[in-house]
Amino acid sequence: MRAGFREFALACWVLVFLLWFEAVGQTAAPPEEAAIRARILKLADAQSDVRMAAISSLATSKDGRVAETLEAYRLGSLQLWQERAVMSETVADSPDLLQLRDALTGELIMQDGLAVRAAKADLRSLVASRKERRDVVNAIRVLQLYSLDQFERLSAVKKLGDLRNTEYLDELEELLTSEQDSQIQYRAQESIALIRLMDGAVSVEDRRAVVTELGEMGSARATAPIKALLAAEATPLDEQTRAVCQTALDSINSYQRRVRILGYIFSGLSLGSVLILMALGLSIIFGQMGVINMAHGELMMIGAYATYEIQEAFGHSMPDHPANAFFLVALPVSFLAASFVGLVMERLIVRRLYGRPLETLLATWGVGLILIQAVRICYGDNIGVSSPTWLVGGSEVIPDFQVPYNRLFIIGLTAGCVVFVYWLMNHTKRGLLVRATVQNREMASALGVNTRYEDGFTFAFGAGLAGVAGCALTLIGGVTPDMGQNYIVDSFLVVVTGGVGEIVGVVCAGLGLGVFTKTLEPVFSTIWGKVLILSFVVIFIQYRPAGLFPPKGRLADV
Amino acid sequence: MKRLFSLLCMAVLPLTMIGCSGGADGGSGAAPAGASSASSDAVATPSADEGAAPASDTGSGSAETVKIGVLHSLSGTMAISETSLRDVVLMAVDEINAAGGVLGQPIEPVVVDPASDWDLFAEKAKDLIKTEEVAVTFGCWTSVSRKSVLPVYEENNALLFYPVQYEGEEQSLNVFYTGASPNQQLIPAAEYLMSEEGGACKKFYLLGTDYVFPRTANKVLKAFLLANGVPEENIMEEYTPFHHQDYQTIVGKVKEFASSGDACILSTINGDSNVPFYKEFANQGLTSTDCPIMAFSVAEDELRAMDVPPLVGHLAAWNYFQSIDTPENQKFVADFKAYCAEEGLPGGSERVTDDPIEAAYFGVYVWKAAVEKAGSFDVDQVRQAVYGLKFDAPGGPKEMHADNQHTLKPVYIGEILADGQFSIINQTEGLVSPDSYSSYLHPDGDFPAPTGGP
Repeated sequence: MRAGFREFALACWVLVFLLWFEAVGQTAAPPEEAAIRARILKLADAQSDVRMAAISSLATSKDGRVAETLEAYRLGSLQLWQERAVMSETVADSPDLLQLRDALTGELIMQDGLAVRAAKADLRSLVASRKERRDVVNAIRVLQLYSLDQFERLSAVKKLGDLRNTEYLDELEELLTSEQDSQIQYRAQESIALIRLMDGAVSVEDRRAVVTELGEMGSARATAPIKALLAAEATPLDEQTRAVCQTALDSINSYQRRVRILGYIFSGLSLGSVLILMALGLSIIFGQMGVINMAHGELMMIGAYATYEIQEAFGHSMPDHPANAFFLVALPVSFLAASFVGLVMERLIVRRLYGRPLETLLATWGVGLILIQAVRICYGDNIGVSSPTWLVGGSEVIPDFQVPYNRLFIIGLTAGCVVFVYWLMNHTKRGLLVRATVQNREMASALGVNTRYEDGFTFAFGAGLAGVAGCALTLIGGVTPDMGQNYIVDSFLVVVTGGVGEIVGVVCAGLGLGVFTKTLEPVFSTIWGKVLILSFVVIFIQYRPAGLFPPKGRLADV
Repeated sequence: MKRLFSLLCMAVLPLTMIGCSGGADGGSGAAPAGASSASSDAVATPSADEGAAPASDTGSGSAETVKIGVLHSLSGTMAISETSLRDVVLMAVDEINAAGGVLGQPIEPVVVDPASDWDLFAEKAKDLIKTEEVAVTFGCWTSVSRKSVLPVYEENNALLFYPVQYEGEEQSLNVFYTGASPNQQLIPAAEYLMSEEGGACKKFYLLGTDYVFPRTANKVLKAFLLANGVPEENIMEEYTPFHHQDYQTIVGKVKEFASSGDACILSTINGDSNVPFYKEFANQGLTSTDCPIMAFSVAEDELRAMDVPPLVGHLAAWNYFQSIDTPENQKFVADFKAYCAEEGLPGGSERVTDDPIEAAYFGVYVWKAAVEKAGSFDVDQVRQAVYGLKFDAPGGPKEMHADNQHTLKPVYIGEILADGQFSIINQTEGLVSPDSYSSYLHPDGDFPAPTGGP
């Protein structure tokens, strides 16, 4: 595991370096830009075969930017404007005007310091015909090999390997020599091997070498073609090749099995940390105050909507300049927003119902419904919160095992929250007062502890943790008024399984349920996995009614 | 403490039941928030009353007006989708009244709010027919709500226009289906993916939310794929519960399934599960070139509320897109935006049109044309007049089937763009004739006789 993380850190650095290197290194304009522009303009020709010829000559231009041009052509946003090919995009504030970008560079077309906006009537849309589309798609794939964007290069490299077309071997080999990114290198090598594997002209020895190479790479993509090779009746393999194929398949399978197990563990950890994050606040409120807060999910939803408000305030949702800092601001703000709502709830409702668990349960349930409907009226439907760009995507730690950044972030955030709560409860005066109130309310009160204040603090703090969970959940899920309902059941399961009010119980139960769910899901389907988990918890509670970590000593009878 | 604990357990139990019962509350295709979550169903929003206001001031002086019913949920989980349909029906009514009404009589919409509650649908429908004596009703979204009102309409021989694509296997003489039947959405989409232009896919992952529409849709799709020579082992079928949020395992499986590079996903995932699914898909490094996702339940109105970037490049199949580039459609879109802005509806001029919105809109005009053709509001005469009716919808000319209650429509494949709109990359030539009962599920052609009628 440690080695994995070291590699991951290394990959991050390499990535940062590469992006910088590419941005600096490849800005010089290729000399034949004018020629490319002339060919792009040919796409406006009335003759179909002229257009086809233009596409095939553009495909060989080795300029990554042309991929964007052809993509625009495919999607119908390439336009002819004043004898010039441009890419158009809609403008939010006026439906009849279009903003224009240069067809090759993608830069906004400016006039007197302002972006040009053209009426639709002044533009002629260049639409790819059905016949051209296939060529356009293939041309885009080849051109993306020269793209500055590493994800585009990666996807092109993979796709060209899947096409099994020997025409692309030269391009791929050329890329292999110049490419710096190890992930793309790996995929390029794999694609070359895959193409050669299916190439009928390859000699028997070469084919054996290719198969062995693919086997050593543990390439999942090679499984199907190698199996097809073994099964091919038209061209039966000799014994030796057959054996080589079999060894390769075995080695691929064993590698893929290890990757799969690694994947289960990681998804289990990640689901577990989501569960912990949600259950933490619930457990604190329940454990310290004996209040079953059915509105916990809605407090989480408040946190998610606070994140949305911060995103709008920062203008993050605009695609051109994502304000990534918004998320760092949103975390504390969602904490504050949810704890404020929690405090108001405590002052107005929960405080009047202490010692009447059934009434608090119903009252908080009602508050939850009110919050859902209030948010629905204010915000209408579900809304979109986009993740900051540094939490989008993931890193391929080892081939075929990708760790998404958002999951990694949530695991880290959960660890931080757990440590903070533990510290707060056990190593600060605030925590001491809260614990004193819990253990013996009258005695604490007699000794001068303002127990009402402590109750308010605990409730607001627990609510705030729900808010943080809501903020974190915008990274993986949608934001809807009733999103809390999706999670409340799972958080209760964690609290019940872990034992009430015990942080360590929440952590163990959360991780346990997470990993358990993720190992069951692949074997059974998702629905049966859920059924099994619920029945497991039911049986568990029969035997350990107070959970994994039951309260001990005097606390047990409170 | 122990008492508390048993209480907690009591609290958890009903919650888990809610979580699990989603499967029973089926609905039709594009229900964004799914159809369970009973908790919020009964809470009505104030907006529910606004629409109903005109209905209350009908005195004896309104003898000349003709009442029509609008039966869409304006509160509860389905309000997200259905409110747009009420808006567009009212817009059509305004237009018709401004142009002189139907047979010279102004029409008066009676808007009721069944609050996403399936039993309430039947009650409100009965109300509309018996008390308000409406000439026709426009309404319903989920299949379960349609099934709930069906006996009411058949018993009273009343007329319902149903505007949403659905799973088929139904034919009532008291309903006109202006949305797609399975062969007008599913089959052309699968054909496109199998074609060379669509990527010549050979492996199909059928992924859906667990309720009636995805299950029936996948049954049709599977039968179609098997009939077209796709081997059984190249078809995977999987369902998730309503509101499912954690797609790590499934995306992991898809990744393995798609490693051969010729796989695609046919998704009937419903509502709020779409966001975590597409996000996880993108974050695990999959793209639409590795494995395109063809969605049957994601339209412009849903995209308006989603984080779009992870969806860009994926596909959807519908009979209408806002991006259809004709003057008629541009006018329709502009009119709808202007109507929403004028009426002060949420979203205002940011609103978009999509397939069910268009189907709800032209439904009103189909009824108007049929009434004028029949020269009467009588249900039986109107029904006969609807059969074979040709008309111009915003998305282009369409026609009603000559005998099976459905609509002939074109099928479009759209690719999702960053602004939440679709670029149309493929369309069928001409109109596709609807099958109410799929020929892939009934290969012998023996369908049940239509229900209801006079």
